[in-house]
Amino acid sequence: MKKVLSFLRSMRFGILLLSLVAVCSVIGSVIPQEHEAMWYVQNYPGTYAPILRLGLDRIFSAWYFIAILVMLCLNLILCSIVRIRSVVASSKTERERASKLPDTVRLTPEGVDKLRDHLVAMRCRGEKIGESEIFTKNSFGRYGSFLTHLSILLTVIVGAAALYLPQVTDQTCLPGESVMMPDGTEIRAYDFSIEDESGRLDFTSEIRIKLPDGRHSETKQIRVNYPMSFGPYKVYQQTYGTAGSVTVRNPANGGEDDFTLTDTVFLSLDGVSGIWYQALYPDYLQDPSGNVTLISSVSGRYANPVYEIIVSEGGQYRSLLVFPGDEIETGGLVFRFNDPVEYPGLRIKRTPPAVNALLIAVFALMTAALYITFFCDPILVKLDKDGYAVGGPKPERMRVELGAGFEAYERKDEEP
Amino acid sequence: MKALFFIAFAAYAVSVILEFTGTAFRKEKLLRLAWIAFIAAFALHTVFLAARGVAAKRLPLSNQFEFANGFAWGVALFTIAVCTRMKTDWLKVAAIPVTLLIMTYAALQPMEIRDLMPALRSAWFGVHIGSAVLSYAAFVIAGCIGARYLILSKKESDNQKALDQMDFLSYRLVSFGFLFLTVVILSGAIWAEQAWSAFWTWDPKEVWALITWIIYAVYLHLRLRGKKKGRQMAWYLVIAVFVVFFTFAGVNTLLHGMHTYG
Ligand code: HEM
Repeated sequence: MKKVLSFLRSMRFGILLLSLVAVCSVIGSVIPQEHEAMWYVQNYPGTYAPILRLGLDRIFSAWYFIAILVMLCLNLILCSIVRIRSVVASSKTERERASKLPDTVRLTPEGVDKLRDHLVAMRCRGEKIGESEIFTKNSFGRYGSFLTHLSILLTVIVGAAALYLPQVTDQTCLPGESVMMPDGTEIRAYDFSIEDESGRLDFTSEIRIKLPDGRHSETKQIRVNYPMSFGPYKVYQQTYGTAGSVTVRNPANGGEDDFTLTDTVFLSLDGVSGIWYQALYPDYLQDPSGNVTLISSVSGRYANPVYEIIVSEGGQYRSLLVFPGDEIETGGLVFRFNDPVEYPGLRIKRTPPAVNALLIAVFALMTAALYITFFCDPILVKLDKDGYAVGGPKPERMRVELGAGFEAYERKDEEP
Repeated sequence: MKALFFIAFAAYAVSVILEFTGTAFRKEKLLRLAWIAFIAAFALHTVFLAARGVAAKRLPLSNQFEFANGFAWGVALFTIAVCTRMKTDWLKVAAIPVTLLIMTYAALQPMEIRDLMPALRSAWFGVHIGSAVLSYAAFVIAGCIGARYLILSKKESDNQKALDQMDFLSYRLVSFGFLFLTVVILSGAIWAEQAWSAFWTWDPKEVWALITWIIYAVYLHLRLRGKKKGRQMAWYLVIAVFVVFFTFAGVNTLLHGMHTYG
């Protein structure tokens, strides 16, 4: 039992687990993830069976991958607890112990003086214990790796919460319309454009969020990379679409209505004569003999939009291409085709409070902890009249630096 | 402006030729000339990057050509910094050709300046990609030191102090690289949340940054265990550089994901 526990908290087990995470990651990056089973059957005819059976198509949510992460957390907790206890305990007695260390490098008297000056210039704190002088600095540096491991543990836990707790939905929303969330929150899009003043692609929506209790945000612009947060919601500018727009007038009574056209639709007064809206094309090419080729996709604004419609007149059908500004009269109605309307695709994310802020705090902790670990090494040097010894929990840096810097003053004549 | 890139490229190439000839025939003068050519190439390269940044009105690190330039520039910067501060002339014969190798990769990429796509227009752009340049460059130099360690430790067995210093220097570079790779991953996560709503999507580029991070975390721990010092750790650093190169270039060419920006 004791052996098992000591393996579970050992660095060897930690390294093994980290290596397993790396191996799974390689597999998960080489085999495309999260496709339908049929996709693997078609693209991996020889190997789809083991891929599907072992869950390699969804490796990052496979039970064994989660188990590795859980064990890594366990290993981190156990090893951190054990280490921190010994780090704290040894910090109390280390100066006392260092004062009794035998010199590992013997220096000439001049070298001893130079080294003392050097340590003082490094702003080490000097203290006399018995015959020895003890110089220390960055004592807190010993906690760097503990804080590093703590922050990694917290990153896994809070990161999992930040990945799996939010509810995310994608919605399109025509300018002037709203999206209602299940809890009664209303997200309204006021305006949308896909280019900035200079004609550069820059998708921008003007959005307002109104919570069920009546509180609402200001109306703000959101762009890619600049989402808007209010209450538990965050709204992202995700994609965009372009819809047709037609104004229908009834000359008999003067009534007029605007329609935004996204799907195939039949606009008619009597259900027989009217217009079938088919599609909207962004651009077209026309050869010298007048033949038109429609272009079905472009990035950005529609340069020369074309409406494809079918006109139905008393049971007769004819296909037509019409352009913004054109008017067609049929079935007692006048249809005026307008410039298309651009609309945003919004991503709406609802996150439990504080999760994101907590994760960012944990990230900051990790960065600071690594900085402390690597660049604030705890320094402990014992100096006496014959030479010096380096002690403390992380002596390597000082051993190497002083070894190189004071080589010229070493006394090689007698072995320490 | 392209001309400036090719002049810098040519200066790096001249430096490599002089360095190799100087090392092969043990000619001090040639080695000194190689170093002058290298510093001149670095200066020209800096001017090229600055001019491109001014012309593009942004940090010139957005596509493979620019990032490869930044990477090569970072390797050159570390080479000059380490060689000047630590008097490690032995590093040059490995680091100078590696700089040229990355420049060659850059030269094979499309070079035109393109508008930043909306997803890249973010305050995190500089932090994320600037840190990647620094961390990859530090890992590459650590790998070069590892290579030198392997050669030296085979030849002369009584040079333990120099070997320990090399081992420690590469460890310091890995520490630096590891800190900055952590910044790359964390800033990338924050940025991804701002742009795409999720901190982490297991996109191949993210995954390979994580693999690289784990590989260097394992290095740090193996080294702590003390038993595996010296040659084994030097081998480890040399092999790890290939992973860095794969994360940098291989992922974009061989695997598909959201980080494909041309
Ligand atoms: C995600 C994974 C991990 C990362 C990124 C990480 C990072 C680090 C870093 C940066 C150091 C300091 C190294 C140095 O000063 O040279 C360190 C030290 C250490 N790590 Fe880890 N670590 C990880 C996981 C683990 C695990 C799972 C164990 C399990 C036992 C572990 C045990 C240790 C020990 C014992 C030390 C030395 C502690 C000390 O110097 O006080 N680490 N780690």
